[in-house]
Amino acid sequence: MSAGIDVPELRVHDVTVRFAGLTALDGVSFTVAPGSIHALVGPNGAGKSTTFNVLSGVYRVASGSVRFGDAELTALAPHRIAALGIARTFQNIVLTRGTVADNLMLGRHTLTRAGFLTSALRLPHVRGEQRAHRERVREIADFTGLGARFDTPVSLLSYGERKRVELARALCMEPKLLLLDEPVAGLNTAERAAMARTVASVRDALGLSVLIVEHDMGLVMRMSDEVTVLDFGRRISGGTPQQVQRDPAVIAAYLGGATDAPVGEETR
Amino acid sequence: MSEPPARRRLGPALLAVGWLVLLLPPFYLSAFWLQTGLFAMAAVIAAIGLNLLVGTAGQLSLGHAFFLAVGAYGYTWLAGSPAADEGLSGLRLPPAVAFVAAVLLTGVAGALFSPVSGRLRAMYLGVATLALVFVGQHILLNATSVTGGFNGRSVPPLTVFGFVFGDTDDGLTVFDVPFGGLERLWYLGLLLVAVASLLARNLLRGRPGRALGALRDSETAAAVMGVHPARYRAAAFTVSSMYAGAAGALLALVFQRIVPDYFSLGLSMSFLAMVVIGGLGSVGGAAAGAVFVTVLPQLLGHFADRIPLVVAPGSTGTGLDASDAADFLYGAALVLTLVFAPDGLAGLLRRLRLPRPRLRAATPQTSAVGEPAVGDTLKEQTL
Ligand SMILES: Nc1ncnc2c1ncn2[C@@H]1O[C@H](COP(=O)(O)OP(=O)(O)O)[C@@H](O)[C@H]1O
Ligand SMILES: [Mg+2]
Repeated sequence: MSAGIDVPELRVHDVTVRFAGLTALDGVSFTVAPGSIHALVGPNGAGKSTTFNVLSGVYRVASGSVRFGDAELTALAPHRIAALGIARTFQNIVLTRGTVADNLMLGRHTLTRAGFLTSALRLPHVRGEQRAHRERVREIADFTGLGARFDTPVSLLSYGERKRVELARALCMEPKLLLLDEPVAGLNTAERAAMARTVASVRDALGLSVLIVEHDMGLVMRMSDEVTVLDFGRRISGGTPQQVQRDPAVIAAYLGGATDAPVGEETR
Repeated sequence: MSEPPARRRLGPALLAVGWLVLLLPPFYLSAFWLQTGLFAMAAVIAAIGLNLLVGTAGQLSLGHAFFLAVGAYGYTWLAGSPAADEGLSGLRLPPAVAFVAAVLLTGVAGALFSPVSGRLRAMYLGVATLALVFVGQHILLNATSVTGGFNGRSVPPLTVFGFVFGDTDDGLTVFDVPFGGLERLWYLGLLLVAVASLLARNLLRGRPGRALGALRDSETAAAVMGVHPARYRAAAFTVSSMYAGAAGALLALVFQRIVPDYFSLGLSMSFLAMVVIGGLGSVGGAAAGAVFVTVLPQLLGHFADRIPLVVAPGSTGTGLDASDAADFLYGAALVLTLVFAPDGLAGLLRRLRLPRPRLRAATPQTSAVGEPAVGDTLKEQTL
């Protein structure tokens, strides 16, 4: 694991989120160690996406704190959090009209400076910036298997490819922390394996932290260093994949819910 | 998914020919059609600006007419001479300076609206901007020392380094064609349209355009990618105002006299019609929509009496009055365009150029690119 970028710890402490009459997160705490792949699992409605929305500044907490290094994320707007090097994907793919390249270049927003006037005039430094970043974006597209689709409108891509564009766009932010909300949901077996490989090799190559929400327990058990289990907004278990797998509370939650893949079953 | 090379070269070539053809009208067209063309050019500039806001940023504005008025009256007041007998004031700036200052002034007016334009989304902004048109009308009618009130104010001609873009008796003729105000303004209009579309295209293809498009498609996604939603919305509104300001100043030069009545809610609505008909989002589309909306009614009005069953105005035959017929035809054209080209004139053109089924067949199979090349690793960036 290379330690090229300085990745801080993510410390979620006692976070509570309420929607009218519903407590979506109830005193949740967990820590994502620098450079680790940390899985967030739990039945549908457990509060996983809500956690992501808190981490990226989209939802406000009722109480609790989220620290990323020295920064208190609960006090920051989403665009400020993005600037700290936290990137995310969405459970339901959210892409912009335009080509793969357009979408990936959006990922460079915080890393580039060109403003309205300088862009309109296409000043030399704007062109230089655009060229340099486009080169890097192309590297990331190649790496995520989108090289051949670089100039294709995203509306013409398959579902699996669009999932990849989301991942690639997040990578284009050169993040320190990558939040992936169900990155392999809806993908076929080969696509799942490829996505898992990509995520693992990104972590290995760049040394960033990954927080991943995933229902495919087989995949979670194989790739993650640590697992946090949520149920009805509460953290019911946490630890290494092996520890979590044996935890009676986890087994009960999954058997009670029964809609998701049971723990430990390899869904490959 | 690159276009065939021949086609790719055809586009710019057609564009170049188009621009060359646009140099000719002053030698052939009557004053009526030159004026129509100049209105169309002003509309093109305003529509390109509104398209940045509506098509790209996904915001709605009904206040475009207000900003045209700021540009038109701004130029007139900045360049105008005080006239004590009419109670008019004016700064008597060199007209070229006044023109640029009017555009900047409109930008300031647009920026002052930032607390609203940054915060409100889509429809809500649309409703809020209604207020601008009403306040604008009130100001135009009552700030008589600047605007001349109900009867308006005459517009000083633009002069650049001594060259007058207006009717003068300097006897300028080109190829035996006397060059009066409209002929001269024609080329100024073309230049402004060229600059306006070039700047807008650069903007749309650059970082701001991508950020605005992201904001339109999902505010959450855009913010999570680092786009400051309020700041970008407000900036789009300001830029779009400046386009309206330039269009307003050009219109004032063409009209030679401006009156408050013109800058009504109806004008704002027709700009919306232009960007929707043009196809939301592209510079070319907005321009096409603007030409469609400004020129078609004039064409129909001009030729309606040649259509069967349509009678000349005033005559007592059985049939439709020519101006009514023109209105009906124009209305029908609007509706038909929207029904058959829901993605606008720009979309229609795209579909003619790129038949979709062939495009799909030409793309490689999903699974073939579903996996990253073996051995490919991502290195840290070296920027
Ligand atoms: N914006 C919202 N408004 C109201 N309720 C919400 C909102 N977002 C999430 N919830 C509720 O919070 C709970 C947790 O949802 P979520 O975090 O999406 O679960 P999951 O673990 O499946 O991702 C659910 O009951 C959901 O209905
Ligand atoms: Mg979810």
